[in-house]
Amino acid sequence: MSNSTNPSGLSRRTFMTGSVTAAAAVPLMAASTRAAEPSPARAVEPRDLSTISLRINKQAYTLALDNRTSLLDALRDHVGLTGTKKGCDHGQCGACTVLVDGKRVLSCLSFAVMNQGREVTTVEGLTSADGELHPVQQAFVDHDAFQCGYCTPGQIMSAIGCIDEGHAGSEDDIREYMSGNLCRCAAYPNIVAAIIQARDEIRRA
Amino acid sequence: MNQAAPVPKENQGQPVVRIDGRLKVTGQASYPADIATANVAYGALATSSIARGKVSKLHTDDARAVPGVLDIITYGDMDQTDTPKFGNTGASSIAPLHDKTIFHDGQIIALVVAETFEAAEEASMLIRADYEDEPPSASFDSKGVKVEPAAGKSPMLQEDVKAGDFDAAYASAAVKIDQKYSTPTQHHNPIELFSTTAMWQGDQLTVHEPSQNVTGWKIELARQLKVDPANVRIVSPYVGGAFGSKGPMTARTAIVAVAARRVGRPVRCVVSRMQAFNTQTYRAETRHRIRIGASKDGRITAFGHEGWEVTSRPDPYVVGGTSATGRMYNYGSVLTHVSVVHADRNTPGYMRSPPETPYVYALENAMDEMAVALGMDPVEFRRINEPEREPIGGKPFSSRSLVKCYDQAAEAFGWSKRNAVVGSMREGDWLVGMGCATAIYPTASAPCAARVRLTADGQVRVQCGSHEIGTGVRTVAGQMAAERLGIGMDKISVEMGDSALPPAPVSGGSISTASVCSAVLKACDAVRAKLFAAAVAGDGPLAGSGNAKLEMEQEKIVASGGKSAKLSDVFKAMQIGAIEEYAEFAPKGSTPEALKKLYAGQAEFHGGDQDKDSVKYAFGAEFVEVRVNSYTREIRVPRVVGAFAAGRIMNTRTARSQLMGGMIWGIGQALHEATEIDRRNARYVNRDLQDYLVPVNADIKQVDVILVPEVDLDVNPAGVKGLGELGNVGTAAAVASAVYHATGKRIRDLPIRIDDLIS
Repeated sequence: MSNSTNPSGLSRRTFMTGSVTAAAAVPLMAASTRAAEPSPARAVEPRDLSTISLRINKQAYTLALDNRTSLLDALRDHVGLTGTKKGCDHGQCGACTVLVDGKRVLSCLSFAVMNQGREVTTVEGLTSADGELHPVQQAFVDHDAFQCGYCTPGQIMSAIGCIDEGHAGSEDDIREYMSGNLCRCAAYPNIVAAIIQARDEIRRA
Repeated sequence: MNQAAPVPKENQGQPVVRIDGRLKVTGQASYPADIATANVAYGALATSSIARGKVSKLHTDDARAVPGVLDIITYGDMDQTDTPKFGNTGASSIAPLHDKTIFHDGQIIALVVAETFEAAEEASMLIRADYEDEPPSASFDSKGVKVEPAAGKSPMLQEDVKAGDFDAAYASAAVKIDQKYSTPTQHHNPIELFSTTAMWQGDQLTVHEPSQNVTGWKIELARQLKVDPANVRIVSPYVGGAFGSKGPMTARTAIVAVAARRVGRPVRCVVSRMQAFNTQTYRAETRHRIRIGASKDGRITAFGHEGWEVTSRPDPYVVGGTSATGRMYNYGSVLTHVSVVHADRNTPGYMRSPPETPYVYALENAMDEMAVALGMDPVEFRRINEPEREPIGGKPFSSRSLVKCYDQAAEAFGWSKRNAVVGSMREGDWLVGMGCATAIYPTASAPCAARVRLTADGQVRVQCGSHEIGTGVRTVAGQMAAERLGIGMDKISVEMGDSALPPAPVSGGSISTASVCSAVLKACDAVRAKLFAAAVAGDGPLAGSGNAKLEMEQEKIVASGGKSAKLSDVFKAMQIGAIEEYAEFAPKGSTPEALKKLYAGQAEFHGGDQDKDSVKYAFGAEFVEVRVNSYTREIRVPRVVGAFAAGRIMNTRTARSQLMGGMIWGIGQALHEATEIDRRNARYVNRDLQDYLVPVNADIKQVDVILVPEVDLDVNPAGVKGLGELGNVGTAAAVASAVYHATGKRIRDLPIRIDDLIS
């Protein structure tokens, strides 16, 4: 895991050894699992629940989660936002890409508790209130930039990041900066064409 | 211009956007592991760390002590069920929890069920086994493998095809080659992970699992669980890539169903990427010996193709691509033989164009070598060996547009600018190479049922238990209904991927579009017949037009004389609100049992080399440009052009996307994909997406698809040839030929890597 995509500066290792004192654990969900003793002196164990508050698609959530729960599993299993996909759980495929504070992040490589206070955007948060698709979403439809559709939410979130970072200047740039998102159906040329259309539309706006 | 939406030519449908496009870009398309499930428990597999032997003792105490663990399913717990069967519906006869014998590395030894995913994972890693292990045989050349003739062992290869006197023709040929080729183990690696979510309500079992064969799985799962198939439902509305991997059901499905019954809760098991390499199927490694003899003017007089394929100990999985390679050209004589090699491995399975990908790779790489040996242009070499009839049975091709494909692809590619001298083309530090190859895939269809409902307000619902695995079948089924019923796509809905729907065959063998569209066509025609009869009846809105030709367009029934009636008025006259028709399609030549088999989840394929009147194949020609760095030997593929003829094209957008994706698969097979095997332990080494290389965006540049018009009404009522597996056949040979042209190095063992080009 690269620390550049990990604004908290915590790595999985330092967290697992209990050197981090996360917020006191109050079981708000998953009532069947144990809550840790709410003693600030006690080191946090991996299995403990921690309470985390964050915003997802502009809504506030407070969750009690196993310290080992990834942001990806938190979104899918605890918040019910299953648009974000699990393809490898190892940061190798990009299907779980979301935006955290506007930057693209692999949600399978981020513990949920590391996202305290952050703003997470998933594919479900892109469409406008009146149902209009985001320019990247529309471009993916127009250019048939998917087949099975499974990697698509990650491709779209990554494409938004790619355009926003200024890495969509040329087709070669797009190919390079989108290569963390595997598409096994191999819609790559269509993905590149879609990003160019969306980039130009976003620039015009 | 939007390249994703090619302008339709003759016999090609409109490039309408995917009917589920919006759902897929908004995250609303529900894949089986996305289904919201209250009170779900999580399952995690524990797998063996040896490839051959027996489990003598399983230690589960540490796992059971993990807080939140609910149950562990292991030896003895499946005794009340029947063992899996190997066949089209079942991936393997290996019954991992019925029998303590270990047949392969990574075999399931337990399923942990826990309150949370994290607890299930933690506990599964604490399960330990004591083994009586034996040295395993990993693959070809390993001590202890068993080699046997393949013909007759699998429906995929009934006989070793032959024609004429190969030995005599080869012995007397003026020019000949005799070469060996190989392809490695490959894993499908769809980006969607394999998963099973099982839930019981009383005696009713619902399983959400990505599947290419919901009806077959319903029957097979019911058999294993010894329950009435009517009580089992498989749901798989969207599949996140399949490529064959989700065709046969694996042992996990029944294990998770048993777990759900035991804990009295829904259980979801999402298999890790790593465990999927061993618990699912894969494309077996193959070896080939090809002999070609020809006269000096380039006419082939003898073609010999021997193949060897790896499989598991118990299951004779065979693909036997010699049926296609033996019919490809106008050979004077043909001799083929396929062998299976039983090793201590999990059972292989279908992977995108299972027979043709490895076998046609070997043939086409050899064809290029032969063209070089003859001093002949490789396109010309293929052209002069174009057959009138296929050489094995002497049957005609229902249609064969290969030469047209070569002409159009060669022109678009600029083949005439190629300097045939090896190593002669260069741009800066890059050696430029150009190569070509033929793509072929059998055209088949199978019995299929569909239900179509049209309501008075012009809404259409199509229901068919086929599977949207990314092919666009949901879209083209909707298009078929839209065209036949004269309704706009915005008023069409299509339901698929549920065993409660009218049954469809396995979505494999590129049969779906032909089979599904033929069934939808038949159902629509039944709807039309009812509407037409009512429209021209004495009190109908088109009374007196009984002899006119009737059509449906823009929610109207239009008579050839010019009169028309609104759909809503016809319904009003009929005093009904909806017409619903259920239709069953069976291909020409189907046996009397064909439809019964459809409901039993067994697809009866027709077409390909099986029919009496003709052989049926789709063809294509692919051209590849490679660049090889003269210092580093890095290989890049800046350009690929493929021209394909596949009968009626339902939708040029989805057809182009599939063929494009197929050719990129071919590039992956040429340059990237290989599952590496630790031969001492018969263990896959690179079991993840970091080390199992697949093409990424930066590997791919220009990929052009040409859809060559072709009409073939012999293949099926829809006139459709499948093309989902056509695009990746031949590509790897075209790359290998281009690499040879650039460097003078003929690489015969895939994948071609930098180290093959150094020295």
